[in-house]
This record gives sequence, structure tokens and C-alpha cells, in this order.
Amino acid sequence: MRTEHIHPIRNGRHVRPQEEWKEIIAIYLYLAGMGAGSYIIGTLIHWLGVTLNPPSAPSITLFGYLLDLTKVPIFWGPIMVSIGAPFLILDLGIKRRFMYACLNPRTSWVARGFLILSTFIVFGLVLLIKSVLPFEWLYAESALWHIPEVIAFVFACGTAIYTGILLKATKSIPLWNTNLLPLLFLVSALSTGSMAIILSTLGTGLFSHDSGALKALMSGEQTLVVIEGIVLYLYLYWSYRATEQGKDSVRLLLFGEKKLIFWGGIVLLGFIFPVILKNIASFFHGNVVLIFVSGLTLLCGGFFLRLGVLSAGMKEQTPMQRLIEIQYDMRAMKMKGLRERVVDEHGTRTTHKDTRINDKAQMSNDKLLITNTE
Amino acid sequence: MEKMLIVDYEKCTGCRLCELVCSVFHTGASNPSRSRIRVIKWENVGFYLPMTCQNCETSFCTEVCPTKACHKDPENGRVVIDQDKCIGCKTCIIACPFGHPFFDIKERVTKKCDYCDGDPQCVSFCDMKAVDYVDADKVQMAKKREVANKFVDLMKQVR
Ligand code: SF4
Ligand code: SF4
Ligand code: SF4
Ligand code: SF4
Repeated sequence: MRTEHIHPIRNGRHVRPQEEWKEIIAIYLYLAGMGAGSYIIGTLIHWLGVTLNPPSAPSITLFGYLLDLTKVPIFWGPIMVSIGAPFLILDLGIKRRFMYACLNPRTSWVARGFLILSTFIVFGLVLLIKSVLPFEWLYAESALWHIPEVIAFVFACGTAIYTGILLKATKSIPLWNTNLLPLLFLVSALSTGSMAIILSTLGTGLFSHDSGALKALMSGEQTLVVIEGIVLYLYLYWSYRATEQGKDSVRLLLFGEKKLIFWGGIVLLGFIFPVILKNIASFFHGNVVLIFVSGLTLLCGGFFLRLGVLSAGMKEQTPMQRLIEIQYDMRAMKMKGLRERVVDEHGTRTTHKDTRINDKAQMSNDKLLITNTE
Repeated sequence: MEKMLIVDYEKCTGCRLCELVCSVFHTGASNPSRSRIRVIKWENVGFYLPMTCQNCETSFCTEVCPTKACHKDPENGRVVIDQDKCIGCKTCIIACPFGHPFFDIKERVTKKCDYCDGDPQCVSFCDMKAVDYVDADKVQMAKKREVANKFVDLMKQVR
């Protein structure tokens, strides 16, 4: 069956979801979103002035200087984004031309994203390196450092939202072309990002002295997950109501070919597992292993959210296709009427049950009747 | 005078010769999956719709292209892809409502109908004249747009 569909729209009866952007782009969107989200949360923690313990990880000395690793667990977002960005390049047809991708920022969101991501990566990495280096002449406490911090923060927000806008800019795919998608991806970026921060701080014992801060972070994270669930519901609901292909996309995602991604990846890994495991963990007085597992499943859920939205995107039918579709339906209706009359005349099969032939036979019947009537 | 390709699904027999011709002309290989025209089929009732680039007035493909490889030729208003600039990001493929540009797996860039530089091969080989290359007469276009708008209104009522 599948081999038939060489191109998504070749067989007009079965509109296929797009197959140009697949897992690689999903990884790109996910890492960019997650990294930016965790940077946003990390910067907020930094600005709120929460006191941080030096991490329990072994200290590193570089050229005789002791590196200060305190801030790394909350500032590593840019590393994730810079791992994610090459995935976009990996998806290109001709990879060595990737620098061309910024030539048209006036109208193209791919180009704008290229610029937003590179700016964020540069500023974020500079701040990360600055937080690590112990040199006196950096004046780490100077107020001037707030300027790049604010810039990096703004571009982190930009990156998180951009992952949604990139898809929203595709006007011909109704599932993507809605304002709720950037919102959904932003919330998902924040929830996966804060989860990643929780994991990294737990792993390094950053808040080991200050369980209040960790609790606040956890409850914030849980609120974000709830908000994400609501936005996801609204998003699917609106897409379902909006247009025909939006409906098809949602159906495909919920009940069709992609239901494994949706129910298994997004719902089970992204929502149900983390909530259950976290409740069990709180029952066992914050069992770290359980929190870790729930965090990892939530991170996987974030990836599947992107993958699901990507892989269920269907193009809208063009008016020409709609027209033919209507004619097809009318002709099929006429065929049905004709067939029933023919059957009646012969007086053999009259009940509805008897006229129900299997699909294939019916199709060849249709064809025969068309050639007969024309 | 600007010329354009128009398709007439009522004449098309679904022979797919146009796909073959286009592919042979551009790539030298008789491989329909590398052609710049595609025939959509409603096989069981015998509807065939050849689809090629509509040369849209506000073209989504040029809008989303990050490199300006896909652009409107200022001379004759055709939408073309600059093969030396295209990075093969496939954004235009996703953006085009007509499912038009195609990713060429051999050359790793995106290809679209270039009107064969003014001598469309698909038109000259199609016996049924289901694809035709005609002057984009302004009056005709206005009429067509009117019909299309009516059709859109109608569709809204049907839905
Ligand atoms: S060559 Fe003409 S008749 Fe044959 S498929 Fe193409 S458009 Fe249709
Ligand atoms: S490629 Fe698609 S969007 Fe671009 S001009 Fe042709 S039909 Fe229009
Ligand atoms: S595939 Fe080529 S022509 Fe299409 S949007 Fe990307 S760079 Fe532009
Ligand atoms: S005009 Fe030329 S490039 Fe365009 S579809 Fe026909 S044969 Fe292919």
C-alpha cells in the first residue's frame, strides 16, 4: 500500500502528510527549544540570586587556574542549542553551502532562525565561559555583564518561539499555520528546559543545601506541564475545527498511522509517566532515581511532541483538487444509484446488506459502469 | 507577453508522457520521479490532474526560501530556482500549496519547472493538449480569478 504513494499528493484520494521534514528537523527543533528553555529558566534563577552550592563534580584545573563550575548546571543551554543547530545543516541537500542560509532574512523564517540561533549561541557561550573562568580582570560581578545577559535572554526567548514560528510560517499546512503552535512549542521548551535544569542541579547537588529552591522549581515545572497539556488540547481542538486537512492531520495523529507517536510518545512519555513517577517519588521522600527517570521520560516526550506535529502536517487541497474531489463524489454517488437500479431490475439483490461487496470488487464495478455509461 | 502553463484535467488521459519527457529533457534519465510535472490520479474513476508550477503571483516558495535561490525572475515574471544557490533545505517544497518543487535526490538540490526556457517540452509532447502554454491574457486572468472566487464562496457553503 505504502509504496504506491511516491509523492504525498500524487494519489489525490489519499492526502499524505508531508515527508520532507522528518526526525532530523524534529531533533533540531527539540534541542533548540530545550536548550533555549533551560537557558531562560537558568537565567531567571541567576537573576533571582538563589545561592548555589559548588557542585559535587570533581573540580577542573586549567593552566593552573581552578575553574568555577558553580553556574554550569544552569547555564549549559547554549551547548544544547549548538548541538542542535548542526542537525539543520545535516538535513540540507548540499551541506557545505549552509552559510547561504542567512541570505534572505527579510521574508524567510529559516534565515531569521539561522541568525537568531547563532546570536544566541554566541552570547550564551560567552556567558557560560565567563561564568567558568575565574580571572580577576573579567569583573564577573560588574553591572556591565547585565547587557549581554539581557541580550542572551531575549534571544533565548526568540529561539524557543522561533521553533514554532518556523512551522507556522508554512501557510499551506493548516495543522502548523496557527498561533497556538509557537505558544505550544514555547511552553514545551520551558517545561523540558526546566526539567533539564532540575536534572542537572540534582545530579550535581547544586541545591543540596536549599531544598526550598528545588521545591519551587519542581512546582513551577509541574505547573508548566499542566499548561502544556492545556495548550496541546486547545491546539489540537482548533486544528480539528479549522479546516478539512487540519481535521485529517489531527485524525492521523490521534487515531491513524501516527497514533503511536501521539499516545505512546507525547501522552505516555510526556505527561502520564512523569506525573506518576513524580508522585511515587514524593511518596518515597524524593527518591532521586525516580525523579531522574521521570525527567528523562518527560524530555523524550518533548521530542515526540515535535516529531508528532512535524509528521502529521498535511497540505491543504488546492481548489482544483477540491473540485475534482466533489466531482468524484458526485460520480460515485451516481454510480451507487445506478448500481442499485441495475440490481433492482435483476431482482436478485435488494437488501442493503447484500449489495455490500468488498471494496476491491466495488471499485472494479465502478470502473466498468463508467465505461458503460460513457 | 507573459506566457504560462495551464492544465486541463478534462483532457488528460493519465498517460504520464509529460513526466517522462520532462525528466528526459532535464536530467537525461527517463525517471518520472525526477520530472517537474506530476500527474495526480483518482484511479478508480479515471480523473487525472497534471500539476505543474502555477507561477503564483504571491508565491509562498520565494517567500520562505532562506537563500533567495527560489526567486521571481524580474524579466519575465517566472519563478525559478537558482541551482548554484539552492542549499536543498526543502522549505519551498513544504510551502508550495501545489506540491510543486521537487527534491532531486541525484543532484541534492530542489528543482522546479523552468518552462524549459520558453519551449515547454511537456506541451509539445502531450497529444491531448492537457497542458498548454498560452499568453497570460490579463482579461482572461481576471475572469478566471472571478470564477475561482465564486468557487471559494461555494466551497464555504458546502463545507
Ligand atoms: S502527457 Fe498530457 S495527457 Fe498524458 S498525463 Fe501528461 S498531461 Fe495528461
Ligand atoms: S512553486 Fe508552488 S508556490 Fe512557487 S510559484 Fe510555483 S506553484 Fe506557486
Ligand atoms: S530548497 Fe533551495 S530553493 Fe527551496 S527554499 Fe531551500 S534553498 Fe530555497
Ligand atoms: S515546461 Fe518543461 S520544465 Fe516545466 S513541466 Fe513542462 S517539461 Fe517540465
